Amino acid sequence: MESCAVMSERKIGEHIIESCRQGDRDAFRLLFEAYKDKVYSIALYFFSGDEALAGDVTQQVFLKLFTKIEQFRNEAEFTTWLHRLAVNCCLDEQRSRRRFVPFGDAFKLNEPRERKSQEAAFGQSEVEDSVQAAIAMLKPKLRIAILLKYFEELSYEEIALALNCSKGTVASRLNRGHKILARRLGHLRAALIRGE
Amino acid sequence: MFKQHVTRELSAFAHGELRDDDSRRVSAHLLSCDRCQKEFEEIKFGMRLAESLPSRTAPASLWDGIEASLRRETSEKNHPHTSSTSSMYRPRLFFFADWQRVAAVCGVLLCVISAGIWWSYKHATRSAWDVARLEGAPTIDDDQFGAQGSLRVGQWLETDGASRAKVIVANIGQIEVDPGTRIRLVKTRLTEHRLELARGRLHAIIWAPPRLFFVETPSAVAADLGCAYTLEVDERGRSLLRVTSGWVALEAANRESIVPAGGACITEPGTGPGTPFFEDASEAFVEALAQLDFEMRGTKGEAVPLNVMLDEARPRDTLTLWHLLSRVEMENRSRVYERLAALAPPPAGVTRDGVMKLDEKMLALWKDHLEIIWIQESIPAVRKVWRSVWEQSSH
Repeated sequence: MESCAVMSERKIGEHIIESCRQGDRDAFRLLFEAYKDKVYSIALYFFSGDEALAGDVTQQVFLKLFTKIEQFRNEAEFTTWLHRLAVNCCLDEQRSRRRFVPFGDAFKLNEPRERKSQEAAFGQSEVEDSVQAAIAMLKPKLRIAILLKYFEELSYEEIALALNCSKGTVASRLNRGHKILARRLGHLRAALIRGE
Repeated sequence: MFKQHVTRELSAFAHGELRDDDSRRVSAHLLSCDRCQKEFEEIKFGMRLAESLPSRTAPASLWDGIEASLRRETSEKNHPHTSSTSSMYRPRLFFFADWQRVAAVCGVLLCVISAGIWWSYKHATRSAWDVARLEGAPTIDDDQFGAQGSLRVGQWLETDGASRAKVIVANIGQIEVDPGTRIRLVKTRLTEHRLELARGRLHAIIWAPPRLFFVETPSAVAADLGCAYTLEVDERGRSLLRVTSGWVALEAANRESIVPAGGACITEPGTGPGTPFFEDASEAFVEALAQLDFEMRGTKGEAVPLNVMLDEARPRDTLTLWHLLSRVEMENRSRVYERLAALAPPPAGVTRDGVMKLDEKMLALWKDHLEIIWIQESIPAVRKVWRSVWEQSSH
């Protein structure tokens, strides 16, 4: 049964990609609709909730995807290719922004929330905002590993392929990421339990 | 003794990314290492934080920008149409183009539907546990399955009087479901796996770290602390927990009973978890405890069964006495304290006054010292007194 699912995934993927290769705009649209929210979410959280930048990066990812779709090798999983593309776009954009933005400036807007009194009642959206801010403050390599794990639900092996590193490195980055989040957001422990 | 800490492996462990032998090694280490346990709590908290972020929907306008770019690129690549094309053929070409477009849209729609079906299937299987039929004809949501089945979130697995089944609990353990049992998969995610046991009996072996696996019963929730145990629910919604390895916590209505290997605990709807006891306790001790927990708790009459228990208590029964400190009336607490202190003197930092005031830190400190007795003493032949108490009160 599991293998049937995998087979159908491959067939659907190949069929759509073949249509894309032939310039089928509707097939492009289908690919876009299927993956846009995941790519956008990753970009949005990677760039500290900057919607405009996340939109730009998402467009870049899909434009590269469509213009280079002929390079896609059948033996490689299409999704791995997409993940790598998304990762590279995010990291490239981050690097280019660093040339112009002093390190840390991008996150200053989120810092006041960190200083909120512990007695303040955190709503779910406030928890989300704080988590978003804390994720944005992680080093890019840790941040992207966390985002691929929780938005793409990738295995360590798949993350390793997308990041071009070993599974051990993925495990180490996620471990560090989790610990940093827990340390920085320890004051949300009660709010998170209440929200369940 | 040198201990190889496992802090670097904790995320991989929680995500089920370790090999079985590594997973067992980490699990065993966690049971005995406070430092790694604390670290694991932090990791799990970090995971819950990351899980709390919702997926965001990309603005629909993004496609417009992409399409415009694609159109521009296409028009740059294509040669302009020559004027030599005969106008009389144009309608036919347009018709052909329209027909192609309709076909393409149909094809795409078909793909979308297929992708939707596949997506649903994939997500359904991700949130499902494998089930194997061991005997008879167990059912999932009233449907029989062959040798193997799949239990999804919200579905009921039921065994009749002649059937049994085995359920693989994600990547953290397994349970065997006895005849006459009804269970439902409530939740399965990285940081929490939860079952409901409506009636019947299950045997669980969990190699996960503490508090990843929970079983809800009508009268309490069993929280796995890394262990093997049997949990049974009768027709009245009462439950009986027997722990064969590790620890289990029974929780309900702000009351918690910690049950170590060799221990058992009875719960009742409306009352919650009773006081845990060792299965090899004396018959008089167990019967008196049943009276105290479910007939006389909070009444002046509780002194009668309590007297029996204090007389019968052995060092190992400090498990029960320690739990009773916070459960008996004030006037009886000092008597429980005296007996407990006689059997296992409180460590430095634990005072009589503090215990009488139910100082949480002192109670926890004393419990840490008592745990050595609860864990180290060998279990003599089980006398099954608890079983007769359980069965008698079920009728």
